Amino acid sequence: METYLEAEGLTKYFDGVAAVEDVSFVIRRKEIFGLLGPNGAGKTTTIRMLSTVLAPDVGDVCVGGHSVIREGDEVRKRIGICPQELALYPELSAVDNLVFFGRMAGLSGREARARARTVLASVGLESRGNEVVKKYSGGMQRRVNIGIALMNRPELLFLDEPTVGIDPQSRNHIFETVLSLRAEGTTVLYTTHYMEEADRLCDRIGVMDRGRIVAVDTPTELKRQVGDPDQTTLEEVFLHLTGRSLRD
Amino acid sequence: MITFFRQAFILAAKDTRIFWRDRFGLALAFLFPLLFAFAFSHALKDGGAPDATPRLTVVAQEKHGVLREISAGLAASGWAVDERTRQEALDAVENGKIEGFLLFPEGFGTSVATGGEARIHVVVSGNHPGAAAVLQGAARAIGSRVETLALAARAVGALEPARPPDAEAMLEALRLPPLTSLEMTRTGQRRHNPANFTLPGYLTMFVFFAAALGAGAIVRERQNRTLERLMSTGVRASSILVGKFLSGASRGVAQLTVLWTVGVLGLSMDLGASPGAVVVVSLLFVLVSAAFGVMLAAMVDNLRGAATIGVFTSLTLAPLGGCWWPLFIAPEWLQVMARLTPHGWANDAFNRLMLFGASASDVAPAMLALVMFAFVFGAIALLRFRFSPPI
Repeated sequence: METYLEAEGLTKYFDGVAAVEDVSFVIRRKEIFGLLGPNGAGKTTTIRMLSTVLAPDVGDVCVGGHSVIREGDEVRKRIGICPQELALYPELSAVDNLVFFGRMAGLSGREARARARTVLASVGLESRGNEVVKKYSGGMQRRVNIGIALMNRPELLFLDEPTVGIDPQSRNHIFETVLSLRAEGTTVLYTTHYMEEADRLCDRIGVMDRGRIVAVDTPTELKRQVGDPDQTTLEEVFLHLTGRSLRD
Repeated sequence: MITFFRQAFILAAKDTRIFWRDRFGLALAFLFPLLFAFAFSHALKDGGAPDATPRLTVVAQEKHGVLREISAGLAASGWAVDERTRQEALDAVENGKIEGFLLFPEGFGTSVATGGEARIHVVVSGNHPGAAAVLQGAARAIGSRVETLALAARAVGALEPARPPDAEAMLEALRLPPLTSLEMTRTGQRRHNPANFTLPGYLTMFVFFAAALGAGAIVRERQNRTLERLMSTGVRASSILVGKFLSGASRGVAQLTVLWTVGVLGLSMDLGASPGAVVVVSLLFVLVSAAFGVMLAAMVDNLRGAATIGVFTSLTLAPLGGCWWPLFIAPEWLQVMARLTPHGWANDAFNRLMLFGASASDVAPAMLALVMFAFVFGAIALLRFRFSPPI
């Protein structure tokens, strides 16, 4: 499969301490790539560098053939970000949120409204799009959060823990949305703390610990490193790779 | 450039939409200042005795055309001018016959007519602090008019050093309006409207307050990574900053529109001889406040910090800057302190324009000071603003 994103030697220091160090991996076009790691492993910092929000101190990332350092604008046209925080405006309706972010991304008012209707349908909120977001359940708010990232029809979608604290129905709907996006040709980088989620969704998984990538492979091959893939869970692999000591 | 402004305006429009849905924000911006202005205007309405024609005792220690013009101007403005010698005036104050007087020292007229520095002395009885306000106000109003003449004299002096320092000749030669156009706020038959001072005071206080508390909304957007998200879609940092500034400014303009309209129609406020200057000063103060809001958001890390500093600065700068009482009745040190605050410059300009009939040129220094405040706050915001929460 064709490589869509290639990270090469990514390193980022905060106050002299390396939050991410020499991280290299590739994401292939139309795959769902899982990025797993304990708290403080450097996942979010890595995503921020991949998505042009944070400049790496060392290394570079190529997205769709464009460097995040030298061609940031070209990269930004191709990506959508769904941060783990609810990065939206609770006082506005879902439609207003989607239209606002769409217009800021360059769509005209008419285009943004039309796209908002499509996106609302894809995240299962078409019937309640005009209600203010603060009246939504946590799961509905998460779906709006994802919907905003879809407004500019991204080729690469970053989903940073999109299912935190929501009910199984909403989680399942998000899974279906992600799978349908892949079917439509979208490449997805997905981070989560839920191992069964990664096992179910991801084509390949990268495991991070202490700012470094410690393993990259398919879920089955990762399990094989620990034991029988049919008997081993991804959580066992995760603990094997990152240890059992508690993290801050 | 089109994209830059388009993004800034879309962002400002979104913020404005959110503001109009925020009941507490609306109450703080519109209801509270109106309540305060109505309450205090009503409370102060019947203050002071309805005296006859106001008397102003003047001591002129030289005979000069400038002083004759000033004297004529005061008389034409409805003041009964009582000219005395210095000793007579001091005795009258000592005996309680008058509360104070204005003293034009020797060389005053000559200094004005040659473009030099000139001072008016205000002498007040310690038993009548209220007289200080009246006399200082009169002195300021006279000073404002005389400054124009001194400035012109300096210009003429540079061009024609031989021209004699004669005030009437100067006024005639320069075609300046005569000093008889001097307008004063009179007590007596026409009662002073307290709204002319209370509403501008509460307007400046609450325009600034709303902008300072608006910093919290920016900090919240930074904390939940909305700003970061915007930047990842290709929005320029400068568009976000300008958009935030515009949203604060549009909120302030809405406040001005409502408060001035209610003030004029509901409180019979008089915007003075230069209503255009009142509007310009108001708009400049809105720009200062909007820039302060963005600067505050740039300086703090979290919502609590934004709220604490926003409330603290607003409630500290309001009394220091003459929002709660007219600066001209405040002690000298407080008047000096007020110059360190945008509120002080704005309120001084409002008082001059609405209480003492000053013209736009008289408040030009205040306008310049407000521009400087806006520039400094904006520059700090630009240098310190962060789009991501601290690590």
